[in-house]
Amino acid sequence: MKNRIIVILLFLMSSQLFSQERYLTKEGYISFFSHSLVEDIKADNYQVLSVIDKKTGEIAIQLLMKSFMFEKALMQEHFNQSYVESYKYPKATFKGYILNLKELDVQNGTVEIKGILSLHGKEKKISTIANIQILKDQINLSGHFMVEVADFDIKIPIVVRNNIAKTIKITFDLKHKPYK
Amino acid sequence: MIVLVLIIISLFFIINLYNKPFIDIKKSNPELEVTAQEILDDYLADEYSANEKYVDNLIQIKGEIAEISFDKGVSIITLKDRSGFSSIICHMLPEANLNVLKLKKGSQITIKGVCTGYLFDIMMVRCILTNSNFNEK
Repeated sequence: MKNRIIVILLFLMSSQLFSQERYLTKEGYISFFSHSLVEDIKADNYQVLSVIDKKTGEIAIQLLMKSFMFEKALMQEHFNQSYVESYKYPKATFKGYILNLKELDVQNGTVEIKGILSLHGKEKKISTIANIQILKDQINLSGHFMVEVADFDIKIPIVVRNNIAKTIKITFDLKHKPYK
Repeated sequence: MIVLVLIIISLFFIINLYNKPFIDIKKSNPELEVTAQEILDDYLADEYSANEKYVDNLIQIKGEIAEISFDKGVSIITLKDRSGFSSIICHMLPEANLNVLKLKKGSQITIKGVCTGYLFDIMMVRCILTNSNFNEK
């Protein structure tokens, strides 16, 4: 697959060009939480890839659906096989901007992030407020937002409809380091 | 009446399945045994077919440690290939932590775990170190 190697080369080259301004993590954390009267369901993903361009405020996040770890094996199985169909759509991505990142002159503050979340083959505009911490060689982003299950064409069987919330809380904690 | 029976049957089915345990990584035999270079080559050649081959399977990988890190009580071992394009990022189970402390950068190890896919690096979860890492010394 020559294409893949070219893509990777381009990625590495462009990263090197802006190496001063790019911040990256491969160990970002994203979780989701569903609350219902029947049960609470939580899944954690510690393998999130996130890149920030400090100059432009651009942010790109990628994760593997299979990296979400559930408390119960069965939940994980259902999630991957029936709901998000991980074999067909193995990744979720978010592409967007941290607004006014350059103007931010404090170490700790809040920023607005706007972008598009792609999941299960569907796209949805997301806008959220996040906590930001800018240290000497680290940019931390954390916060949470809500998504509607129905927006992503995820079908929940009637039998378990009461077990799964219609609105899911997504929590993120991303600690970026300068990309060398 | 039929509906009620169906509901009872499915409820029984659900409760029965509900507490199904995760696969025991330690006791189970790997479905595939590869070197770090082999799996990386497969992913660089064709991500889609590599996913078919590796994702969700218990695999055993032999390779050289490029990095060891700890994050929120979880140890992460990165295995590298020769070209340095991408690596294999292995998130270890907490029970592996004590053994991970004994490891050094650059040594050859064998890791067993579940592959979740590829994000410029191959991602592995629920990994443990196989016994062979310590018996040989």
